[in-house]
Amino acid sequence: MRHTLFKILTVFFVTYASAQNIEINGTVIDQFNMPIPGVNVIVKNTTNGVASDFDGNFLITDVTTGSTLVFSYLGYITQEVIVNDNSKLNITLVEDVSQLEQVVVIGYGTQKKKDITGAVSIVSAETLEALKPIDAAQALQGTSAGVSVTSPSGSPGGGFNILVRGVSSNGNNGPLIIIDGYEGDLNSINPSDIETFSILKDAQAAIYGIKGANGVVLVTTKSGRKNSPTKISFDTYAGIQETTRKLPYLNATEYALLINESYAANGNPLPYPNVSGLGIGTDWQDEVFDTAPITNHNVTITGGGEKVTYYVGGSILEQDGIVAKEKSNFRRSNFKLKLGIDLSDKFKFTVGANYFNTKRKTINENGLGSVLFNALNYSPLFNTDQEDLLGLLGNEVINPLSQIQNTFNNYKGNAIEGNFQLEYKPIEDLTITSRIGIKSYNDKGKSFAPIVNYGSGKVFNTDRSSVFQFRNTNNSYTWETFANYDKVFLKNHHATITIGTSAQRVWGDNLSATGFDVPNNSWEFADISLANGLSDAKSNSSYIYDNRLTSYFGRIQYDFKGKYLLSAMIRRDGASDFAPENRTDYFSSATAGWKISDESFLEDSKVISFLKLRGSYGTLGNNAGGDLYRALLSGEATYVFDGALVSGVATGRIPTPNSVWEEAEKFDIGLDISLFDNLIDITADYFIEDRNRLLISNLPVSGILGATAPGAGLPTANAGTTRNKGFELLINYKKYFSDDFKLGVAYNFTTIDGDVTEVKDDIISRGGAFGVGQLAPSRMEVGQPIGYFYGLKTDGIFQNQAEVNAHPSQQELGSSAAPGDFRYVDINGDGVINFDDRTYLGKPQPDYIMGLNLSLNYKNFDFSTYVYAELGKETVRNYERDQSNVNRLNLYLNRWTGEGTSNTVPRTTIGGTTNKLFSDFYVEDSSFLRMQNIQLGYSLSEATLEKLNISKLRLYVSVNNPFTLTKYTGYDPAATSGAAIGGGIDYGFYPISKQFIFGLNLSL
Amino acid sequence: MKNYLNKITKTLLTMIIVMGTNSCSDSFLEETDRYSIDSETFFNSEDDYYKALIGAYDMLQSTYVNVMLGEIASDNTLCGGESATDVIGFQQIDDMIHSPVNSNLKDIWNWMFAGVNRANFILEFQDKTDFDGKEIIIGEARFLRAYYYFELVKWFGPVPLKETRFSLGDETIIPRSPVADVYSLIEQDLLYAINNLSYVAPQTGRATKGSAQALLGKAYLYQDKFSDAAAVLESLIQNGPYDLVSDYDTIFETEGENGEESVFEVQYTDAEGAGFGCLQCSEGNVAVGFNGIRNYSGPTFDSGFSFNVPTQEVVDEFENGDIRKDVAILDIDAWSASNGATFGTGYEHTGYYNRKYIARQGDLNTGDQNLTNPNNYRAIRFADVLLMAAEALNRGSIDDTRALIYLNRVRTRAQLDDVTNTGANLTNDIAHERRVELVGEGHRFFDLVRTGKGSEIDGFSSNKNELFPIPIEEIQFANGNWSQNPGY
Repeated sequence: MRHTLFKILTVFFVTYASAQNIEINGTVIDQFNMPIPGVNVIVKNTTNGVASDFDGNFLITDVTTGSTLVFSYLGYITQEVIVNDNSKLNITLVEDVSQLEQVVVIGYGTQKKKDITGAVSIVSAETLEALKPIDAAQALQGTSAGVSVTSPSGSPGGGFNILVRGVSSNGNNGPLIIIDGYEGDLNSINPSDIETFSILKDAQAAIYGIKGANGVVLVTTKSGRKNSPTKISFDTYAGIQETTRKLPYLNATEYALLINESYAANGNPLPYPNVSGLGIGTDWQDEVFDTAPITNHNVTITGGGEKVTYYVGGSILEQDGIVAKEKSNFRRSNFKLKLGIDLSDKFKFTVGANYFNTKRKTINENGLGSVLFNALNYSPLFNTDQEDLLGLLGNEVINPLSQIQNTFNNYKGNAIEGNFQLEYKPIEDLTITSRIGIKSYNDKGKSFAPIVNYGSGKVFNTDRSSVFQFRNTNNSYTWETFANYDKVFLKNHHATITIGTSAQRVWGDNLSATGFDVPNNSWEFADISLANGLSDAKSNSSYIYDNRLTSYFGRIQYDFKGKYLLSAMIRRDGASDFAPENRTDYFSSATAGWKISDESFLEDSKVISFLKLRGSYGTLGNNAGGDLYRALLSGEATYVFDGALVSGVATGRIPTPNSVWEEAEKFDIGLDISLFDNLIDITADYFIEDRNRLLISNLPVSGILGATAPGAGLPTANAGTTRNKGFELLINYKKYFSDDFKLGVAYNFTTIDGDVTEVKDDIISRGGAFGVGQLAPSRMEVGQPIGYFYGLKTDGIFQNQAEVNAHPSQQELGSSAAPGDFRYVDINGDGVINFDDRTYLGKPQPDYIMGLNLSLNYKNFDFSTYVYAELGKETVRNYERDQSNVNRLNLYLNRWTGEGTSNTVPRTTIGGTTNKLFSDFYVEDSSFLRMQNIQLGYSLSEATLEKLNISKLRLYVSVNNPFTLTKYTGYDPAATSGAAIGGGIDYGFYPISKQFIFGLNLSL
Repeated sequence: MKNYLNKITKTLLTMIIVMGTNSCSDSFLEETDRYSIDSETFFNSEDDYYKALIGAYDMLQSTYVNVMLGEIASDNTLCGGESATDVIGFQQIDDMIHSPVNSNLKDIWNWMFAGVNRANFILEFQDKTDFDGKEIIIGEARFLRAYYYFELVKWFGPVPLKETRFSLGDETIIPRSPVADVYSLIEQDLLYAINNLSYVAPQTGRATKGSAQALLGKAYLYQDKFSDAAAVLESLIQNGPYDLVSDYDTIFETEGENGEESVFEVQYTDAEGAGFGCLQCSEGNVAVGFNGIRNYSGPTFDSGFSFNVPTQEVVDEFENGDIRKDVAILDIDAWSASNGATFGTGYEHTGYYNRKYIARQGDLNTGDQNLTNPNNYRAIRFADVLLMAAEALNRGSIDDTRALIYLNRVRTRAQLDDVTNTGANLTNDIAHERRVELVGEGHRFFDLVRTGKGSEIDGFSSNKNELFPIPIEEIQFANGNWSQNPGY
């Protein structure tokens, strides 16, 4: 700093002394139209130069026409302008896309990108602005290598799951989210308030110890800048949404013909002897899908004085669902404040606060009985107001429109979260930081089940109305104090030492109750205060929790001439929810880097402008499995004595006295390369992660232990190891051709190969569900990916009785085979087909993940697009109810109807077959490529802006999810419940919406 | 201004120091605010024992599946349901093609052992706290352990025995005890219960001396210990407060619950249900919904899933004039014709339903229509006791005259003529009477097997299907300690 000042003063002096030629003045601004103070403005190949002032203004004299002015500023692309007669120059500096100088948050400290020795992904505000995510997590989808984001639902407020480098654990796989130093959740913050994400993917996250194993997402929110005028920005958009997909189902005539055939095949009379005039009937998907609005308004006020910076933001997002918009919608309001105050030269104080409020209504989703499941299975012969009174469609399938009408619920949440931070700089190189992050989240919900009759025998009929209400409080604080000592010694040696301590408490409680007999059977009166019906059974419940963590940590970072980089870190954590003798542990890691491009042999390379080799190795923890050591009396013990319910006591889940958290052992080796003067940046990583002491929940144990009693449970124990290895590649190309034309391309590619490498006693964990009453389709087993699909393998269709006779008997599966049925493969070769012949059918996790982003600026137009792809994964088609009279996918039009007609789709019959058993017929390739966003914007020219006296006005149109390329027949190939065992099973996922958006960005 | 800032600074620093000293001590990790009941520190009062006893009774409700499968496995009923693969495990058992991979058999193994463990939880701590009347709770706990072990030995034959809770690893050490040893523990438990319980239960639904005597008699009979069986059953007939209800029709209706014919009855209610994810959690009788008429709409009955449907053969087994036929068997075509009811046809539709245990109208069915039916299971009826006594006296060649008296008491109530046969003919008469008297109540399969008539069931393989296979997982958990039942 002192050096720069000196330079500026020298330049001033020199300039002043020789002032003669023409004078040029102007303003330097950034791409957000914010003035940049302190920009160096130098006449090329001279010492003539000035710096811009606080308002970005500069005045440079003694410039000869035809010479070149160079504008440079740390972190921005240097710009050269040839001087003509124009004495007025307005310059927009663009942030340096090579990002080498970018300061990256790495946890209890920062580092320049070029000095980083760990694997870190960075996603900046630019991406958030382009993608306009509803939930901040969406901004990570397809934009950073090694990170995947999945959603269990496209419904408003549906939530997202983030995975860093795949699924390692069969329990919690979500990364640690740190927002400005406090532990939070991405869904509570307004995405527009986010400045950057840094995602720590490797052992460098060991500084977060017991919580670092699933990766760490560090979120830095926006702040004001010192000495900048107040800037008010208003961003708004509105759009309409529609479903991305409708499934090809049979119309009324096709349906009736198929049902007739299936009755005839079993020798029964035809249910629809006259199909003429049935037409196409009711298209239930058209009936339940709707177009729905989405709007978002966002206001920010930011600026700063000499000692104070401020950022104030407010936003309201409203989204209606594309299914049942009255009953499926979401609203989120945020209010954000961030203040930075220099109390003195030595003390800096920062306060950040985020208030958020959500409201959400939901419909039954992704299950047997969900609205879409019913829309797919309900008969096209029924009118829109017609109930299945006779139970033609079995016990579960009901009229989806009636179901929507009878769905009543709401959910409201309020949170206040934030942090107070004090930075103390007692001496030049030492900074002591202490901060308290808090979060208090309170929510409540209500759901009303009216008296309703969907037809005889329907399991969703209700004889007695009830209203369920709950309230939760969730609180946490994290208090941390740490010191950073940063020193250059003996000229070439640079070291940063960090030591610190942290204490965290997470606690809360719940209270819930059910009231019966709601007056007038009406939502209007649905409240426990009015529902006065009594119940013999206990109708209320509560729980409390309180988990604490104390930690000490230290890190040393060292480099020699900035060329050879080393760091080592250690953290000791103690967690209250483990047995006292098992509750503390140490986590540590080391990283190293070598800037090869600083070596003499590369110094003058025209091609390679930057090359760094780096590696890391260490251990981290996944704080799961708390309280497993306790033998609680949480079992359910309810029986009937004297004709009334009595409640007793029984043991709960089987305890695991020695349980501890999972440990991740991470290895990463990477290269950071910049080519052609930082035109192209490449980051490549190869990683291996072993998740040791894997906590296997619901670990199957012998039934003699009694774990299946009500309220009891299978134990969770450290009983396995998984290994994920993979390769990540990120290529960035950004070219600033001129003020009028800029181009950027970013591509990322990730491969993940995950396997279970060890399970105690080779025990197999099962999960998920297929159909009704079938064996669990998902498994975790040694040598296979977590949660792979396990079922029967088909080998075509029996074309005639001779083929049936020639094949081992399939009788043990429940019914003997006939021509037109699947021929299952005798996997174990024992001459009989039974459930021992099940085998690997696919897996829900992709082999390859890719993202592509293209951005283009031409004059006042900007264009960007984001593409995301997942390849090499499967999804289970489980939205077809196995019942004689339900509607079907149109693929059954190509069913087997006689010898040679089909070798893929079996015959239809109401008689007994084994064709509905879980087999590869129901497992589909769900690889996909999705165009996530296309956006075109137009910004008003500076001349016009000046006339209007505003600093920015941009209008844009955007389409989200315009198309998805996939072979998958279901609604959303990208959707998964996120469960490690049981994920990727599709009951008719609420599809993601296609959104047509018009928006405006205005800055004053 | 500067002064003010200094003040803030000082306050913040103080806060940090105070918090630091508070937070970093070890006590921070100890002072957590949460519930702290522990299974090992329980049993400190009479109420604790009573509460644990409720837990041991709770598992009785899961025997609904034993009852259903006791019929489906036999020649009385077909599996039924929606389709051939609706509940594959039921279907396989019906067809006698079941294997060690069968989730329903696994349920029986798991739930009955859960019952054993809940009883053993009390018995493990039986000496911890003393109070008046403890022997009653211990007596009931031992009755329940015997009840669960009797189910296990019926279904699986040799099973591991333990008199305290099983712990992890026991499956690799404790062998499957021979059937005789399992019965020996059952007998000891029931003798204790007989000696410590009275004929009147402290609360309706709890086991009595009579319950224990009847179960002991049954356990003896299953071992062909005819004189022991006759002794305990006749003692019960003579000394117990039980009698046949005159109107057979009322037994299976709500008003007939816990009547004078009920020697032991599993209690259910419609007040608290559960979902398909935890059928054993329901306080209702799950079997009743499963047995119910498919998509029924009409008077008297409620809809269900059409499992466990009686065969024509069992309907034909009723003698002319037997008033029990119309109570036990619902002819759905005849019923709907005369009552204007409608219904759906499920898989293996026979036209008959198990009328004793299908859903009735007017229940609350809290939680789930089909899983929360309140119909109690009449586990041991006095008619069963009379027929068991008759069988023991006859097959043990003890006294056919007394056997005839007991048999004819049952026949008289059914408005049938007395039987006068003796010897082997009488044995057959008693077997026939058991079938029609107890149809739909889950006894048939085991009655056939224990009398060597298993092969009367379609698909039955002798020397194999007398026992059900140990779940495949259990064989794997035991790691060589347990071998599979013969033939599987």
